Amino acid sequence: MTLTPPATVEAAAVRVEPAAADTIEGRSPWQLAFVRLRHDRVAVGSSAVICIIVLLAVFAPVVAHLLGHGPNQQFRTTGLSAEGIPVGPGSTFLFGTDDLGRDVLVRVLYGARISLLVGVVASGLAVVLGVIIGLAAGYFSGAVDTVLSRFMDVVLSLPYLIFAIALVSLLGPSLMVSVAVIAFFSWASVGRIVRGQVLSIKEKEFVEAARSVGAGHLRIMFVDILPNVLAPTIVYATMLIPLSIVFESTLSFLGIGVLPPTATWGNMLSESIAYYRVAWWFVAFPGLALLITTMAFNLLGDCVRDAFDPRGNRLFVAVED
Amino acid sequence: MPRYRRWTAGIAALTAFGLLVTACTGKSSSSSATPHAGGTLTLGGVGDIDFMDPTAGYNTDTHTEERAWTRQLFSYPASKDAKTVSTPVGDVASEVPTEANGGITDGGNTYTIHLRGDVMWNSSPARAVTAADFVRSFKRMCNPVAPVGATSYFTTTIKGMAAYCRAESKIPGTATAMANYINGNEIAGVSAPDAKTIVFHLTHSTSDFLDIIAEPFASAVPVEYLKYVPNSPEFDAHLLSDGPYQISKYTPGTQIVLDRNPAWKASSDPIRKAYVDKIIINQGQTPQAVQQQIQAGTTDMGWDVVVPTPDIPGLTGDPNLSVNSSGAVSYAVFNQQSPNQNAAMKNPKVRQALEYAIDKTAIAQALGGSKIATPASQILTPIDIGYKPFSTYPTPGDKGDPQKAKQLLAAAGYPNGLTLKVLFPNTSQSPKIAELMQADLEAAGVKVQLISATQTDFTVRYISDPVSGQRGLWDIALLYWVPDWFGINGRSVLQPMTDGTNYGPNSVDYGDYNSPITNGLVQQALALPSSQADKVAELWHQVSVQTMADAALIPLATVDVPLYTSSRLMNAVYLPINENFDITNVWLKNG
Repeated sequence: MTLTPPATVEAAAVRVEPAAADTIEGRSPWQLAFVRLRHDRVAVGSSAVICIIVLLAVFAPVVAHLLGHGPNQQFRTTGLSAEGIPVGPGSTFLFGTDDLGRDVLVRVLYGARISLLVGVVASGLAVVLGVIIGLAAGYFSGAVDTVLSRFMDVVLSLPYLIFAIALVSLLGPSLMVSVAVIAFFSWASVGRIVRGQVLSIKEKEFVEAARSVGAGHLRIMFVDILPNVLAPTIVYATMLIPLSIVFESTLSFLGIGVLPPTATWGNMLSESIAYYRVAWWFVAFPGLALLITTMAFNLLGDCVRDAFDPRGNRLFVAVED
Repeated sequence: MPRYRRWTAGIAALTAFGLLVTACTGKSSSSSATPHAGGTLTLGGVGDIDFMDPTAGYNTDTHTEERAWTRQLFSYPASKDAKTVSTPVGDVASEVPTEANGGITDGGNTYTIHLRGDVMWNSSPARAVTAADFVRSFKRMCNPVAPVGATSYFTTTIKGMAAYCRAESKIPGTATAMANYINGNEIAGVSAPDAKTIVFHLTHSTSDFLDIIAEPFASAVPVEYLKYVPNSPEFDAHLLSDGPYQISKYTPGTQIVLDRNPAWKASSDPIRKAYVDKIIINQGQTPQAVQQQIQAGTTDMGWDVVVPTPDIPGLTGDPNLSVNSSGAVSYAVFNQQSPNQNAAMKNPKVRQALEYAIDKTAIAQALGGSKIATPASQILTPIDIGYKPFSTYPTPGDKGDPQKAKQLLAAAGYPNGLTLKVLFPNTSQSPKIAELMQADLEAAGVKVQLISATQTDFTVRYISDPVSGQRGLWDIALLYWVPDWFGINGRSVLQPMTDGTNYGPNSVDYGDYNSPITNGLVQQALALPSSQADKVAELWHQVSVQTMADAALIPLATVDVPLYTSSRLMNAVYLPINENFDITNVWLKNG
């Protein structure tokens, strides 16, 4: 996709509402995308779900306080049977308990904090790194491009789980290591997209014009080119968040992510595997939370991509509304 | 020495010696039905064997399959009687040596063992297993490539073995160099005066020598093995069998298939009936999947797995479920080398305070509840020699006493608590136990930093490396212990765990507990002959008491082995040394 020929988009807008007003109102691609998103029911729905998840994560301590169940508090008598089997959903534990007698509801809410934190921070780091390296590779071309592009190829070729296991063996598992591993394995995809865009944009007349009036490399890269690659970057970032959440869950599931007793959905799923035949709630609730969250982010990502796509079908529908 | 079972779900404990074989089984009546031969026995499991070479194999699951194709001088018969199953009987040896039959002489320092003449290798043509094959077994134990896992059993008991081993471990790891060394050097204490006689000269009389040489590490070794580098693919492809089965197919990580050994004669083997025609071990599955297959009847028994803990309550009363004692203990060891918190772990008062902090009932509950696990107050279990119930650090209901722990910590110079690193492997039940201990220790004012490691890192990088201990990478580690044998087994339980004089790489006295009192008691116990079994037992009891008085470790729970079999599997008799049923004596109802 491209944002550079605004005339095309404006022409389309002009064509669909020729009699809307006497004067033609120019809209930026960002405004058009926002209008389209606002009219997209899937986008609105997934945004609402994400907002609810964020609110639940933020207010998890309040819920824990109201229930009187801490996220790591073990109810060894009331939360477990004599044989150590978790207690099912009921009035005391709405989502039941886990294998240590902890409240699954409270832990699912606290798990949302880790998932969102990892999703946003790791994706943010990956985007920043990917944009900088992609910009440099695309803008400078030549040897710089060759070196950086091959580096991106190497990162994309690494078997990430094996690498993650090796790194965790070296450094020990922790939240920071998880974020770093996820960011490291995600930036190269962003970098490739940005590089491709920059290779095209840097040949445009407005870049030539900037260069002709004496603008430096940094100014051209970050002031003139960067705004034009932001849209695809944002689209990819929204897709990256659920990927990061699933990545974190995978690491935790394998016991090399966030350390227990910190509640994460991956940890919870890992602990629940042995219990799926006798304690469905233990596997179902963290699994559902992961499913709903990643689906919401994925759907939103799809909508953002459609909204920024001038050739998409939703363009006309949204604007006609 | 500790042996490893790939615990994936349930583990448990025993309440009385009489419960040794099965705490609950509904198959006793069917086991008495007339056995018949034939059929294919199918086992399901998760992982692979550690070594195909019997000298190096040290997992209970490896020993389970080795019983079908290897033979030792002595072995343990499958029996539901606690004493019988823990007493070695002649396997290739024609009788158990005693002073009365002239097998034990020189005040217990010399063992003369006679072999049966009809035990055959499946070589081409078949030939008899001789005393030289056993001498070769001992001479191969310290090879530099895949040595025996418990060298000290042999180096501390057999005359000349230590010197032989020191030199052997330094030779190049080629087949030729090893063969030349083995053929050109002798162990002073092991000789074969004729093809059917082997003589051992010991460094001192001892009560457990027959148990030591009944270990599968001491299986007969044919001369052909010297052509290959131990544990190499070539070696694995040229295995010979002197047991009732032979390996017909081995796909690492996937499947082992054993079929009948045509050279084996039932009359030559007093402990293996070999009813089934074929044994298939399917690997690479989850414990839950294996359990479902056994319940569906498509698999007959587990191999390296037990019944998943969560499934046990639902199987109560099921005749195919049995809970078997293993002598296994879950425990936590203090790293007395750690410099952390002003070397707090070196301070016995701190360790004693922490003994009170742990809710062992909760740990037993997490391990499967009272049917499976029992809170422990010492490292010995009721089936170990020297076991007598006692509790040095009693708490109400074994639920821990955090207030008392707090007071004792304050008295020990830590009124504001302390921060400790608790190390655990990220497999099996260990993460769960670590989280329980973390909550208990924090209630006693101890801030806990959990250190999770893969099983390999846990062993190689942390607990087996004294440098990690000295650098304070961990303060408390969670461990699990299964004795190599039962009966007179102090050497395989307390001696290695308390042997501070040999602290170093690969020592299993992981925390460097080194007490002159304990060391003295251990030496006394090891030096007594089997004729003084009562005194030996009393000494091991004293070692156990002293170890707890010094708070060298925190015993958490003794754990039993819940196993499940298909409805058609008959005569499933539990072998404690292998933590599984004896696959050479089961038969299939509709086989």
